[in-house]
Amino acid sequence: MIRLTDLPEDSPYTIDECKIRGRADEVLIPVSEAEVIEAVKGCASITISGMRTGMCGGSVPYGGTVLSMERFDRILGVGKDARGFFVRVQPYVTVRQLNDFLRKRVFDGISDITEGAAEEMKSHPEGFFYPVDPTELNGSLGGNIAANASGPRTYKYGPTRNWVRRIRAVLSDGSVLDIARGDIRAKGRTMEIPFSDGPRRFDLPTYQFNTEVKNTAGLFVEDDMDAVDLFVGSEGVFGIITEADLYVIPAYPLISSIVFLPNDGDAYALSRDFAGSGVTPEFLEFFDSGSLDLIRSSRRDDPRFTEMPDKPDNAGSALFFDLPMDASLKENFGRLEHVIEKHGGSLRDSWCGYELRDRQRFFAFRHAVPQSIFDYVARLKGSSAPGINKMGTDMSVPLEHLDEMMAAYDKVITRYGLEYVIFGHIGNGHPHVEIILKDMDDFEKAKKAYMELAAKAVELGGSPSAEHGIGKMKVDYVRMMYGDGGMEQMRAVKRAMDPGYLFNPGNVFGGEAE
Amino acid sequence: MRYLVFVKQVPDTTLIEVDEQGNLRREGVPSILDPYSEHALELALNLRSEGDSVTVVTMGPPQATAALRRCLEIGADEAYLLSDRAFAGADTYATSRTLTAFVEKFGECPDLILFGKQAADGDTAQVPAEVAEMLGADQFYYVTKAEPSGEGFEVVQDYGDEVRTCRAPKGSVLSVSEGDINRRLPSIERYLQASAMEIKVLDRIALGLGNFSVGNKGSRTKIVRSGSVRSERSCTVVDGSDPAKAATLIRGLF
Repeated sequence: MIRLTDLPEDSPYTIDECKIRGRADEVLIPVSEAEVIEAVKGCASITISGMRTGMCGGSVPYGGTVLSMERFDRILGVGKDARGFFVRVQPYVTVRQLNDFLRKRVFDGISDITEGAAEEMKSHPEGFFYPVDPTELNGSLGGNIAANASGPRTYKYGPTRNWVRRIRAVLSDGSVLDIARGDIRAKGRTMEIPFSDGPRRFDLPTYQFNTEVKNTAGLFVEDDMDAVDLFVGSEGVFGIITEADLYVIPAYPLISSIVFLPNDGDAYALSRDFAGSGVTPEFLEFFDSGSLDLIRSSRRDDPRFTEMPDKPDNAGSALFFDLPMDASLKENFGRLEHVIEKHGGSLRDSWCGYELRDRQRFFAFRHAVPQSIFDYVARLKGSSAPGINKMGTDMSVPLEHLDEMMAAYDKVITRYGLEYVIFGHIGNGHPHVEIILKDMDDFEKAKKAYMELAAKAVELGGSPSAEHGIGKMKVDYVRMMYGDGGMEQMRAVKRAMDPGYLFNPGNVFGGEAE
Repeated sequence: MRYLVFVKQVPDTTLIEVDEQGNLRREGVPSILDPYSEHALELALNLRSEGDSVTVVTMGPPQATAALRRCLEIGADEAYLLSDRAFAGADTYATSRTLTAFVEKFGECPDLILFGKQAADGDTAQVPAEVAEMLGADQFYYVTKAEPSGEGFEVVQDYGDEVRTCRAPKGSVLSVSEGDINRRLPSIERYLQASAMEIKVLDRIALGLGNFSVGNKGSRTKIVRSGSVRSERSCTVVDGSDPAKAATLIRGLF
């Protein structure tokens, strides 16, 4: 096992994408499960570390040991069960690595978990893909499972939870739990997990976990829940994942489209009517007028900025979606024509493309929005406002309340005198609102605005943390949702599974109640 | 004006990987419209004004209609597929012969004939020149821009170390080396329209070509052997604290 001590101040092991710097006494890098167990038995506090692409500080250590899983980077095997094909991965394998493997299908060194699975996958005409697209393709799958990552394609395929078949994890006493779905289930809200000193039985929280919207706030619970689901989305507070089986599905050709609409309201309305049209896109992404303005202004500086044609002059908002290129495509476009026209758009004011190099342009266009915001902020940073930054929201609401939430974004953020743009996963009632901050005063205002908006999202039956998780930054929002009682129920599960608060202290529900 | 654009369907070369033996792994790699062909098509579409037409043509197996369909989606007015089992194995000469036959019999005196500067898979860049030669037409390589001018066109050729602006008469052959990075995308409406458009298929007989003029039999190139070339680089690291040593090493490189 590699041990790093005397970490430099700028150590990559003490920061993640939330950009908050933590501290650690040491970094341990195990190469085998036996070494993970050794670390668990020898350490007082462990922060589990993958690619550190999280947005909420889940892998930022507040002292103790960082356990980096970076040597667990292999795809181990493939198999098939009644539901379909699955791939066995170590936790540091990235989403990109998994999809590259599924596209190339080179099975050297990959074992057959069920007989003939590799051969069957190899001979499949279209190849395979992992349906969860968390946007950040360099994220580790262990981290994706721990965070129950989602992303644009959640619209069609649901979050990571839906694709986890089996988990192998090292528990707080150093024992190994290896469970597939169906192996262990709760009785009502009572769960029993085997440890080395015998089974530990504990009560699960009694709150209703909101699955009506995209939601990563708090521990997932449901009656008779599967023990696999205790780990998915738990942000590493119950154990260290050393292996997982993830389901994959056959790939199919897709066509990307962007439809331009007169204004933001038309796009909200169209995104709501999409479901009723009978057409299920892979995802539904939104660009508001501010986002399109930012792209326009970036293109004025650099005409090559998006590698896209000029947008129609009347475009006040846009929706981006992918559809399968199958026999039903024409019919599906026909169905959409009606609803698109109803909301002021037309099939003429649109772009579409299906060759990979064209589809990459669509995704680059999607990424151009956060990139434009980043550039805008960087420009101001270098000139009039050195302290400028941005704050992104991650709230979801049921689609029927989308208009109300959108109105609240505008009302609350502008009341505080702040600027914002909106883009992202509107199909799940979960657009990203980027608030632009010019100085520390703005930062304080934005935090207040965020709290108000989070309360509004919860009031409307939504979640204050749809996909970024809680980590250490959003514990207050978990309390907002479940109250002190709910927090205490989560801590009771933690005390049963990990009485010494060994794993990922501070995540999801903070520490023990003050 | 009548613009004739020759295009090609190629495997998406960005997805082709080379294995340790130097063999191309082509399995599962989709076919696309050659990006250079798309540059030529873009130029023709930019030149087209009211009353003009852009015709796209490719030689290939039936599945090459997909590349033509894409040209129609992007904006071409009509499309021809030159397809016959006898065309298989054609080198650049036999290919040029077949394309030239199309121009002579079906081209209806095009005002401009456009190609991409080369195909992304074969990379020979010979076909435009050979077609021009067979037609007896003027040829302009490395074209980056073209505009109608007087009775003909004004074209800009970029040779890398030299940029030439020339007058090209009607009927010239252009091989286009660059396109707009913000290249067109079809609307959904156009995509649906194009899916219903006819692609005319012409075979060897229709083109009036004999068996020995086309395909493998009509080819003059014989491939004796092919292989991959490996180039290796070596590296010497010099401690930067000793500038004299670094200077000696750099001097040794020249």
